[in-house]
Amino acid sequence: MLDCRLVVRREGFTLEAAFLVAAGETLVLAGESGAGKSTLLRALAGLYDPAAGHIAVDGVRWFDRAAGISLAPDRRSVGWVPQDLALFPHLPVLDNVAFGLRARGERGSRARARAREALARVGVADLAARRPGQLSGGQQQRVALARALAGEPRLLLLDEPLSALDLPTRRAVRGELRRLLAELPCTTVLVTHNAVEALLFGDRIAVLEGGRIAQEGNRDELLRRPRSGYVAEFMGVNLLRGQLRGHGGDGLAEVLTADGPVIVAAPANVEGEIFVAVSPREITLYREAPVGSARNLYRGPVLEMVPEPPFGERVRVVLGTHPRLVADVTREAAVELGLTEGDEVYASFKATGTVTYP
Amino acid sequence: MKPGLGTLGLRLLTGLCLGLLAVLLLLPVIALILRVPSGELFTRLGDPIVRQALVLSLEASLSATVIVILLGLPAAYLLATRDFPGKRVVEVLADLPMVLPPTVSGLALLLAFGRVGLLGHSLGLLGISLPFTTAAVVVAQAFMAAPFFLAPVRAGFAAVESRYREVAATLGASERYTFFHVLLPLSWRALVAGTAMSAARALGEFGATITFAGNLPGVTQTMPLAVYLELQNDLEAAVALSVLLLCVSFGLLLALRSARLGARFL
Repeated sequence: MLDCRLVVRREGFTLEAAFLVAAGETLVLAGESGAGKSTLLRALAGLYDPAAGHIAVDGVRWFDRAAGISLAPDRRSVGWVPQDLALFPHLPVLDNVAFGLRARGERGSRARARAREALARVGVADLAARRPGQLSGGQQQRVALARALAGEPRLLLLDEPLSALDLPTRRAVRGELRRLLAELPCTTVLVTHNAVEALLFGDRIAVLEGGRIAQEGNRDELLRRPRSGYVAEFMGVNLLRGQLRGHGGDGLAEVLTADGPVIVAAPANVEGEIFVAVSPREITLYREAPVGSARNLYRGPVLEMVPEPPFGERVRVVLGTHPRLVADVTREAAVELGLTEGDEVYASFKATGTVTYP
Repeated sequence: MKPGLGTLGLRLLTGLCLGLLAVLLLLPVIALILRVPSGELFTRLGDPIVRQALVLSLEASLSATVIVILLGLPAAYLLATRDFPGKRVVEVLADLPMVLPPTVSGLALLLAFGRVGLLGHSLGLLGISLPFTTAAVVVAQAFMAAPFFLAPVRAGFAAVESRYREVAATLGASERYTFFHVLLPLSWRALVAGTAMSAARALGEFGATITFAGNLPGVTQTMPLAVYLELQNDLEAAVALSVLLLCVSFGLLLALRSARLGARFL
């Protein structure tokens, strides 16, 4: 189990994060580049001393500013895979993986045997004799993982583990890594700026924003109930916030936001300030103002249209409405409407298509 | 002016420069080799003066190089990996013997370790007198050669990405283990370069040696000193010694180049 609170101070920038990760669990630290994610990992590995805070792994204090404790990296039971992997270029794969075991004084034959096991676990036992320079990106990634795991660390730290890989390799490694993380007994902290990977790997996800954890929770909580504009944007959800105004008799209620009133499905047992989340798929686009019952209707220009992989069957449409909305429509719908960037359109969503929570 | 003419003029000028440079750099070497009386080079090696100078030179420069490596490795490591106040000044001081006139270095050595020097009195109390001994030759050569080892090795250590040292540390390697198993193997070319350069510098040392250690045959008379001395009475001996030195220096440079080209990794 990892229990930590870390305060990182840089010029004009303070980062403070506290989290608990249960033994065997994977926590994903998500956030954009420059949010300080890598620095947090380096602090956990012992390569950087935070300005304040503490780190305890399985009850052992690795770092405690107040108590003046800071274990050197080689005294921590940690496996760190940096973004650039940093395989030792002068050593064959097997010696790379056996490096930590040898450094800790294990005999050569035993260290090599354990290194072979670690390589087999990530499925690259056949590469033992190669040099890192002769490996593909995906193979290097697996070897770096084997090297970090060979010493059976209590804490595994993965820094953007897939960012150096090309797309097809990334898909393959992603699945393997997910299975491996599920099997591993060690506590894992994984850093990524990619929402898909965050959702894939994270038992729990902590989203960093502006120097602190904006929200922490499991996948469903983050996807269905984002609690900040940044988290919502990261997860691709529309988020509004406002004051709940009385329940109507028709099972609907009005929420007064900074951009005007929104009609929502009346929530039970909720009052005051609430969040309103709207999935992009719930948003319908029109060329002309629709006649009829649509209550939440907004007008604005199409700012951006992004076809979604794999085949571009769906298109994400970013709108310049107030509030800002993102719609996810089928390609057919986009073609039928003749949408191009800059067009003025109407967007609406049903009251029943909203999720409200305090 | 036609463009072709300009190019032609430029080519002629370049050719002229190359020719002059060849005359400046190559002709003296060729002249030296041409002066070797055929078959006499090895007879000359039997000459006691020549043999003494040769043995002394090899012994002294080998000792100086070993000392420079042993004392220089930790210094190069600290300079490459640590930050401390006044580091800039230390770096400049470490480079200083490279640009100092050798006779000035010799004088400085005398004033430090000579009989009336700063440390001379203390050394005298211990019964040690450095000047005009073989040890003084080694000290003079080590002083002059040290920067030629420190500079490339320091740069070589610094060029090894800190990421490798960090990964090694997280894998449980002590700083010492990482030094021997990561840093040294990854900067071996800089080590070869530094060793060859400092050995060559030690072997060719003249000014500091003659100032600090004197010119005593069999004790402090190294090959460069012998060449200078033999020039006055036996030109043939001087030539033989010079060609020997030339061969050794050429061999060192060749080793250096093969080390640079032998890029099996990185």
